[in-house]
Amino acid sequence: MTTTLEPTVRVRVETMAPAPTLRPVKSHRRRDWGRHLAIQLLLAMQLFPVYMMLQVSLKDNRSFLSNPWLPDAPADWRWENWSFATRLVLPYLANTMFVAVLATAGTLTLAVLGAYFFGRYRMPGGRVLWAAFMMLMLMPTIANLVPQFALLTTMDLLNTLWALIVVGIAGSQAFCIYVLRNFIEEIPRDLFEAAEIDGAGHLAQIRNIVVPMSLPVLSTLAIVTFLDRWNEFVMPLIVLRDPEKFPIGVGLIYLEGEYVKHWGRIMAAFSMASLPLIVLFLFTMRTFVRGLASGAVKG
Amino acid sequence: MAQPISTRKALREWRIYLLVLPALVMIATFAYFPAASAIYHSFFDWSGGEVKRYTGLDNFRRAWNDAVLWRSFGVIAILVVANVIKLIPSILLAVLIHRLHSARWQYWYRVGVVLPMVVPGLVFLFIWKFFLDPNVGALNRLLDLTGGRTLLVWIDQLFGWDVFRPDQPFGWLSQPDLIIPSLILWGFPWIGAVGVLLYLAGLQSIGAEVYEAAEIDGVTSWQRLRHIELPLILTQIRLTLVLLIIGTLQGYGLQLLLLGDTGGPDGRGMVPGLWMYNRAFSSGEFGYACALGLILFVAILVLTMINNRLVRVDK
Repeated sequence: MTTTLEPTVRVRVETMAPAPTLRPVKSHRRRDWGRHLAIQLLLAMQLFPVYMMLQVSLKDNRSFLSNPWLPDAPADWRWENWSFATRLVLPYLANTMFVAVLATAGTLTLAVLGAYFFGRYRMPGGRVLWAAFMMLMLMPTIANLVPQFALLTTMDLLNTLWALIVVGIAGSQAFCIYVLRNFIEEIPRDLFEAAEIDGAGHLAQIRNIVVPMSLPVLSTLAIVTFLDRWNEFVMPLIVLRDPEKFPIGVGLIYLEGEYVKHWGRIMAAFSMASLPLIVLFLFTMRTFVRGLASGAVKG
Repeated sequence: MAQPISTRKALREWRIYLLVLPALVMIATFAYFPAASAIYHSFFDWSGGEVKRYTGLDNFRRAWNDAVLWRSFGVIAILVVANVIKLIPSILLAVLIHRLHSARWQYWYRVGVVLPMVVPGLVFLFIWKFFLDPNVGALNRLLDLTGGRTLLVWIDQLFGWDVFRPDQPFGWLSQPDLIIPSLILWGFPWIGAVGVLLYLAGLQSIGAEVYEAAEIDGVTSWQRLRHIELPLILTQIRLTLVLLIIGTLQGYGLQLLLLGDTGGPDGRGMVPGLWMYNRAFSSGEFGYACALGLILFVAILVLTMINNRLVRVDK
């Protein structure tokens, strides 16, 4: 996209060059500088907290208090903040990873199966069931928190990570099924019929047709659900008691109270908490950006 | 559309119902059952265990006379208005990026917009909490550095607020009068990645001819925004508006993290959701919390319906 757009713009303007009201194309670059400046200023301000987190994470208190804004010279970087934070945060990260990966996998598996049901045939009763899912997208969920807690207590899931996984899976179903159904309905019917003639059952059709064809959507949904689980903290806060079971959200609340005056250490812990997401972003940047944008067009 | 199916074939294909069953069981257990349970228990004096006592409408009567609840609705109303205004930078940024002539820069700025999403929302919030710290926080230091502090103190004395005192650092999260301003200020300049991408997608549907025609007609930047760009992303703005209002009304994570479950000094940051949380998990009044949740639920539902009707865009 980036490579094809520019030449066409140039050609178009050149062919129209005789028109006296149009300025030559070169001036575009100059005319844009104000916009570039405004955009960069906005983005810089939005990214400022990230910058502060990273540079303070490499300082001790003395250096932070005397020079809060600029990073120290690399020779003075306090990597011990990071090793200290690693020791503290790594168990939390492991817990979060466990919850986020299992919940995302569970969410998408159930959502694909469910969306296939809605997208493949107009089964009797399908509309009622569809309404049951769509209602959840409109319904405020706030009233559910207290009974959910009571339910998890009776299910003996309190103080376990499984509580977060099942509640997470249930919570993300409606949205994923909604997106996937639209996608499955756009798959050419011939593909399903050909597979059926070859004797493929529904599960085989899902595995061989639906999953490969909706892979871009699935990866976007995976990222979105994964981020949701990563950022969750209210449910873990009320469900979990043992500090060794804390996911990153509650873990950071706990650490923040514990290491109030060690700015460098706490910032290093925050950075560590973001690291897995930064890695995920680096590997999936295009899916991330395009996926979010294309999902937006559909909605 | 999904393929139509005859009743006979549907009967033969009954196994297909098994596919939707797991998802159905999940939402029935963890969404519909709790919702029903909330309605049921809102009529009880209940502390989460087996023991409960039917009290009729007592919980609702109590809520009606609950000064904290009423005040919390006032706070949330202010925050909703503030959050709507806070959409403007995202819209502006999307328009600015869209107006660039270089597609490559557009792509990189889009990446720049998404980049803050890699920092978990919670961490972002904690960094802001640190920014708002009275002694070492970036905000107060920045104000000292730029003379903003002197300016604020001067304005304060002009109006006689007695909030920004010259003799002590501004306690953004400890002075009752600064709680709501802090709740509004945090996250500046309030760029929302998903929102910007949504608007950009909407703006891309504008054909190049429209711009060329506008350029030939000598349309100003403002007219272009007013008559071409904004109308085209009105649907997207409406969508984000609806989501934002629902999200703000039922959200309380921000207040819980910044101020604790009492809503900060003097309870100035108490919002309805937080009050529900507080009643359930600080004082064990689960029945009353269910009633509060239910009241909120109805309020949000009604507002969403009004919202949908008012902000409808005919296309």
